[in-house]
Amino acid sequence: MAPHSPGTDQIDTLLEIGFIAATILVVAINAALFFAVRRFRSQRGAAPRQLLGGRGLQFRVGAVLTIFAALLFVLAVVFTGKARQAPGTGDAGLASAKSEPLKIKATGQQWLWRYDYPNGAFSYYKLVVPADTAVTLELLSTDVVHTWNVNDLAPKADAVPGKTHKVVFSADDEGVFEGDSSTLSGQAYAPMRTAVEVVSPDEYEEFVKTQLSDIEEAQDRVVSLIEEGKTP
Amino acid sequence: MSPRPRPELVAEGYQVSRRPRWVELATTADHKELGQILICGALGFLFIAAVELVLMRLQLLVPENTFLSPVGFNRMLSMYGATSIFLFAVPFALGFFYFVAPLQVGARGTALPRLGQTGVALYAAGATILYATFLFTPPEAGINPLAPLSETAFLSNNGVDAWATGTGLATLGFVFLAINLVATLRMMRAPGMAWRRVPVFAWAAAVSSWLLVVIGPVFLAALTMLMIDRNYEGIFFADGSGGAPLLWQHLSWIFFTGAYMLLLIFAFGAIAEIVATFSRKPLFNRNVVMASLAAVAVLGTLAWMQNMLTAPIGIGWQYFAMLMSLALVVPFGLILFNLIATLIGGTLQMRAPVLYAIGAISMISIGLAGELVQSLVGAAWHLHNTTAATAATHFALIGAAVLGGFAALHYWFPKMIGKTMGETLGRISFWTIVTGLLLGFVPLFLAGDDQGQVVDAYKYFDNAGVTAYNVISTIGVLILFVGILLTILNAIFSRTNGPGAGHDPWAGDTLEWFTLSPPEPHNFDVLPDVRSPRPLRDIREAIGHRTRREQAAAARESHPVA
Repeated sequence: MAPHSPGTDQIDTLLEIGFIAATILVVAINAALFFAVRRFRSQRGAAPRQLLGGRGLQFRVGAVLTIFAALLFVLAVVFTGKARQAPGTGDAGLASAKSEPLKIKATGQQWLWRYDYPNGAFSYYKLVVPADTAVTLELLSTDVVHTWNVNDLAPKADAVPGKTHKVVFSADDEGVFEGDSSTLSGQAYAPMRTAVEVVSPDEYEEFVKTQLSDIEEAQDRVVSLIEEGKTP
Repeated sequence: MSPRPRPELVAEGYQVSRRPRWVELATTADHKELGQILICGALGFLFIAAVELVLMRLQLLVPENTFLSPVGFNRMLSMYGATSIFLFAVPFALGFFYFVAPLQVGARGTALPRLGQTGVALYAAGATILYATFLFTPPEAGINPLAPLSETAFLSNNGVDAWATGTGLATLGFVFLAINLVATLRMMRAPGMAWRRVPVFAWAAAVSSWLLVVIGPVFLAALTMLMIDRNYEGIFFADGSGGAPLLWQHLSWIFFTGAYMLLLIFAFGAIAEIVATFSRKPLFNRNVVMASLAAVAVLGTLAWMQNMLTAPIGIGWQYFAMLMSLALVVPFGLILFNLIATLIGGTLQMRAPVLYAIGAISMISIGLAGELVQSLVGAAWHLHNTTAATAATHFALIGAAVLGGFAALHYWFPKMIGKTMGETLGRISFWTIVTGLLLGFVPLFLAGDDQGQVVDAYKYFDNAGVTAYNVISTIGVLILFVGILLTILNAIFSRTNGPGAGHDPWAGDTLEWFTLSPPEPHNFDVLPDVRSPRPLRDIREAIGHRTRREQAAAARESHPVA
């Protein structure tokens, strides 16, 4: 994972905290187990020795574990909270998204992602967003549950039919970020991929404008073909 | 002075059976026979599940492989999930509970034997229905077939119906078995066997049975709704018109999460017995271990939404799931602490059961630590449904059901058959399984975390950077398969050729070792008064005292002081 947004930076930090905690546990348990097994193999004539330690010992161990879990809980709440904070649009970002985030609709359908931009343009497979701009992605599904997953830019989130799931992110670099779907959605689930292209605000404005005019031109041609009776 | 008669076991020989063996097996209501049927069936399905896992891993050996078709892969995946959970892991655990727990509490049978018999028959029926689908269309909606993919609008063939019927019948069977275990452990304990003296494994059986009685009906309700949706134009899981796709996720995850906890409770119950027996010590602080097992059942099941951290549910619910998952650190930590503390100061005999038990602790610790990371909400937004999640689940569940289950198998096999399992083959199998598990699933942790490789996908792409991980993982799973096969073969050969075992080959402390191996149909001719959690040790001590006293008396008689 190579985080490229403020939110995924926080997720990355939380992952590292989690790995440190997990490593501590695995090493402590296995080291103690290894030591105990090595040291206390049976020897001829050795009698087992009773360990002393009653309720007090259990309370102490329980207290240490509780503190460990509570600390993790607090850290996780703090970093998760930061990760889901709506990012602001920076100075280099899209001017029109300064007051409120750029709203884009992402629709999962078997087995393709469709993106609808505010001006009426849409694109399949590839989402184009301006850099340093707060983007709200509204995840929808027309059929089954899909999970939108571009893990360098945003937390993964499910698109569930009948529900709208919002994801907010702001990409801090230009570039192309690969993504995929991560909930089994049928036969062509594995190739149901997506990509986010982060461009400068000017390029974004240019893209949505050309995309819209291309779409309108194509629609006009289809309409004229139908009117001329040339459709099959 | 004539010595008093010593306690001795009095048992009639087996009665000559007038019916063929298979008729006896098909009609028996004896908990020992039924337990062994469940264990045999589970081992058979373990082999099949391992074959399915190997086939899926072969498909994922190289990028964009075409060994299995996309639909073929989804079918393999769905059958693997159903087989490993419903036909192997849960019945394997229940088989041991059903065989051992009544013996451990000194019951001469079970409270509702015909209910248990029906349970096993339902399990067999469910398994038959699931595997009969290979004659038409196997299910293809995944390990947990999330609605609405499992609805007729998207999968109209009969695969999902067969899945729901098969797993439903098996689950109903498990609930029947659990009800019988609850009743037996409640009503039929030997005189003096108070709850505070019940062996840990029998306690684990009671906790697991109560858990199944709670979660089983939840799953059955979900399956019923799914069948109504599919066959009678229901709308339970359809969006709009009042239904909710997320309802299926809640109901099914309650069951799957509870079943996961059941397997861990089973494994820790067996491991606790084995570690104590082979260390020649009582379990360190058994009350805390027993309370922790019960806490795991409650907290673990309440953490079901840990599987839904990317779903559109409120952040408060996500924190609640995380709180429950993190709270599990305390009971699991206390169980592990007390198991290791039991080893300390003991005289450990490294026989095959204890080897498996210790391996199980080690592998489960890796799996649970992996789950811990995924329970942190923000971290789950990266790790959810990646192969890192697969790896954590497999470490925990193969650790619990395969290594923990094999520990139980090696430990109680002499009681079931009267023969001991081959020690050398057991050791070879153990090291093969551990090597395979580490090679097979550690790379998946890395692929999931670094590259975000997704689960359940029938292929991955060359530019994803996960090829090396997947090659190593496939090799590891092949090794794991060989290891599992070795133990199954070991059990088959030891049944006829194993070295004979007496009634108490491991010098155990609990009542199942008081009766013959294999036990008579009525389990016990006589029962001792239970005065502690270790009744057999009390008997051994009493006999030892008396023998010493008699020897001293005999010595005085033969050499009277002049």
